[in-house]
Amino acid sequence: MNRFPKAALALRLLLREARAGELTVLALSLALAVAAISAVSMFASRFERALSEQAAQLLAADLSVSSGAPSPQSWQAEATRLGLSLAHTTTFPSMAGTNAGVTLANIKAVDAAYPLRGELTVADAAGRERVLAQGPAPGEAWVDARLAERLRLKVGDKVSVGRLRLTVGALLMREPDAITDMYGFVPRLMMAEADLADAGLIGPGSRARYRLLVAGDTARVAEFGAWLKPRLPRGARLENVEEARPEVRVALERARRFLGMTALLTVALSVAAVVLAVRRYLARHWRTVALLRAQGQSSGAIGALFGWQLAWLGVAAGVVGVLAGFAVQSALAAAVAPLLSLPLPAPSAAGVLVGFAAALVLTLGVAWPPILALRQVPALAVLRAELPPPRAGVAWPALSLAALLLLAALQLGDALIALWLLPALAGFLALAALMAWGLLKLVRAPRVGRRPGWRYGVASLARRPTLALAQIVALSVGLFALLLMTVVRADLVGAWQASVPADAPNKFVINLQSDQQAAFDAAFAKAQLVPPPTYPMVRARLVAIGGVPLDPTRYEDARARRLAEREFNLSWSAGLPQGNTLSAGRWWGAAATPQFSVEEDIARTLGIRMGDTLSFESGGERFEAKVSSLRKVAWDSFRANFFVLAPPAWLEHLPASRIASFYLPPERERFVGELVHALPNLTVIDVGNVIAEVRAIVERLAYAIELMFVLALAAGVLVMWAVFAATRQEREADMALMRALGASRAQLTAMLAGELAFVGAFSGLIAGAGAWAAGAVVAVKVLALAHWPALWLVPGGVLAGLVLVFAAGWPLMRKVARVPPLAVLRNEQG
Amino acid sequence: MASHLSRQVDYHGEHLTILKDASLSLARGQSLAIVGASGSGKSTLLALLAGLDRASGGEVTLFGAPLSTLDEDARAALRLSRVGFVFQNFQLLPQLTALENVLLPLELAGHAGAEAAARAMLARVGLAHRLGHYPRHLSGGEQQRVALARAFVGEPALLFADEPTGSLDTASGHEVGDLLFGMNREAGTALVLVTHDMKLAARCEQVLRIEDGVLGGAGA
Repeated sequence: MNRFPKAALALRLLLREARAGELTVLALSLALAVAAISAVSMFASRFERALSEQAAQLLAADLSVSSGAPSPQSWQAEATRLGLSLAHTTTFPSMAGTNAGVTLANIKAVDAAYPLRGELTVADAAGRERVLAQGPAPGEAWVDARLAERLRLKVGDKVSVGRLRLTVGALLMREPDAITDMYGFVPRLMMAEADLADAGLIGPGSRARYRLLVAGDTARVAEFGAWLKPRLPRGARLENVEEARPEVRVALERARRFLGMTALLTVALSVAAVVLAVRRYLARHWRTVALLRAQGQSSGAIGALFGWQLAWLGVAAGVVGVLAGFAVQSALAAAVAPLLSLPLPAPSAAGVLVGFAAALVLTLGVAWPPILALRQVPALAVLRAELPPPRAGVAWPALSLAALLLLAALQLGDALIALWLLPALAGFLALAALMAWGLLKLVRAPRVGRRPGWRYGVASLARRPTLALAQIVALSVGLFALLLMTVVRADLVGAWQASVPADAPNKFVINLQSDQQAAFDAAFAKAQLVPPPTYPMVRARLVAIGGVPLDPTRYEDARARRLAEREFNLSWSAGLPQGNTLSAGRWWGAAATPQFSVEEDIARTLGIRMGDTLSFESGGERFEAKVSSLRKVAWDSFRANFFVLAPPAWLEHLPASRIASFYLPPERERFVGELVHALPNLTVIDVGNVIAEVRAIVERLAYAIELMFVLALAAGVLVMWAVFAATRQEREADMALMRALGASRAQLTAMLAGELAFVGAFSGLIAGAGAWAAGAVVAVKVLALAHWPALWLVPGGVLAGLVLVFAAGWPLMRKVARVPPLAVLRNEQG
Repeated sequence: MASHLSRQVDYHGEHLTILKDASLSLARGQSLAIVGASGSGKSTLLALLAGLDRASGGEVTLFGAPLSTLDEDARAALRLSRVGFVFQNFQLLPQLTALENVLLPLELAGHAGAEAAARAMLARVGLAHRLGHYPRHLSGGEQQRVALARAFVGEPALLFADEPTGSLDTASGHEVGDLLFGMNREAGTALVLVTHDMKLAARCEQVLRIEDGVLGGAGA
């Protein structure tokens, strides 16, 4: 005998109802909320674990010190004294070439001890992978897949780096500390440190980053860290795992906020859909319950029957939701993982548990209490048609929504983010609701034409203002997010690219030494190209403003702190460089005394005013002068520009390299190879390539975020469906009456389409206007582009809203238009 | 006019006859009451006469047009131009004001000057001061008066009234009954009244009784 007769009966009833389509919206809403929460949970936890599980490997050491100069002997002596192992790496951008061409590579020279933690994975000519504990031998280079592809390199080929020709010993598949690299998007070439001097690539002013790696006993490592900290020169950084790749952290953090925001949005919308679906469920079932009561079922038995049905539904929604969530997070991870050169661990079981917990809260908290209220339906309701259906309170659903939002927010791993996100979400929804409310009022006040279709459409919305608001808000936030991500992003990138003139320099040359100027000009002349002007560049550190020593930690702003920590590129010039305009002070004359001209934006960031004395240090020498002018610089001109300029002669004795930028027509690309061949230490940066790489990264991140926004939009559509389902009977009654009064099918269709049109147009209008405004804020305030998003975003949003609402809503509405007029008399029976 | 009307429904593979061989005719401007107990087939007959449902056998001819030859839209068009309705539960659209409810049939028919006609009709039923009110703000009697205004505003040649006083208290019922017959006389409309209120039925020129789907004459 079945020990759970109610459970089995409930399952049978549930399957019957599901077949009849009674549960579609409820089940979909439950599953979607579960999917959103579990996807974010699994995705976030995979990145968390990838970052923490591989803690030591991420640095290839227990501790690393990174600086712009080789580490002093005293540090190495101290580490050795403490019994720690040491390794060195040097990374810098430089050109790598073959007969096929040259390209910018991110060179990493490693010594024999590298890596101290973790392993290197390489592949041989046949693609077989091997795990090694040591880097390439002298004379050998390992290249990553991107560089191999760009230069058509195979294992055994020769590749030129500076003055050296190295043999490609293997393809580099994974390196433990790739994540610490600033130029992660530039292809990698790894070589032996022993070859570095012979390559002749490191000269004054070159952008090399030296890293000292330390590993050993935990306490000794900590002791070394404590010893080193006060001795660190400015610009040097102690790196541990928490601090590794701060910009990756920031990017991930931002992505997680976006994902979290979307998850919260999806959850909030799904809960709204669940509440609406339950409302319909109650309307459809309370007479059934009255009948069961009349037939002698106890309230307990009825509670158990419905409780079991809900439990089954919750389990089904949990399974489907978790599976969908798994699929979504896989797609997210596939999109984002290649950017981080970081193998992701498999999703944990915790994500599955979180998904089921969400299903539990949704069913028990949101759906169960109102359905439990069904038990209170009196048997008398069978006889008394005028008795109202039971009303469900809002306390439980509200509490459950709070619990779910908290659950989703906790997946973000940071309570602060959650605290910040929830009011932001509430504010966002409130703003959309306010706009929707205003629009409804606006069209209600004056009569909209005389066409009954439109009139009925607005009147229908006004009849159920809460439901109308719910639909419009739900659809508009989903649409807003997608419009902002897809259209505005493309628009802004386009605007940025359009702001670059066609003949703007597309190549930058750095590392040119002063004694190479003649050879540089000769290479251009030989190729019948005009030699571009070159500018001297001295790397110097700002140490004091107005005599007050610069303390980076006192800057609140992260950008100011970074600027204060890094070395400046100083230059000198007799005249005001092209693309620069003075915004304060006067330009110096021919025989100028020591003074500085500072770019106005950095002056504002660092708090530098006209007349302040700036003190710099370069190569152990300190020099200072007053600020005599501020300049505005057109950075997007792609010319060599400098934050700080000085008059000629004064600083010429300092170790300097030169920088130049020029436009090379695409058909003359071979010239880059000739130039690098003549001057192997030059680094030629292809601006187009850099833009393309950065753009690819942005595209991938945006794609990941869009995936989540599609979930939010789906939740918006669900809310609309739930509203249609909940109001279907009322609509059918209206349509039957209209039919009896003589309305044609075309007129009924126009009325229903009118309502859909208002929902679609209003949602689209709010979304389009919102995306336009947000895009404008981003363009002007964040990207400092003098560009407003195209105004067609607003009508475009309206069109998108109409298409979405008709595509998703018309199949349901169409059925209502087919209701026979006879139904009006059936309605008469109550 | 109706001749040999019948209506069968299939229920679980069984043929149930809910109306048998019903015939009646009504001339322009005449009134007819159909009385009968609940479930006797009154509403089925009304639905067939008004073209809301299709007969299984027999024919309904409205204004010379046999309904069986008309499709759903053509029957709707016929109702729109020549037929008015009054229902027991008023059947006003809750999202429209009193004025808008009365305007609806005129708008559906694309009448010019609809608003003036609707206002005049509401004034005729004594609701000139409640034009902008929604049904939920009107009493049952007032709602039925709006429904009467809606029924007469299109100047129909034939009016179907299904238990027009069935949901009203006695006083309101009297008021609505008086209005119904008064307006009917003024407009010269033919009236088919379905009711179980014998007093109301007695105000019609003809009364027919229906029992178990069989229509029989009862005389006035």
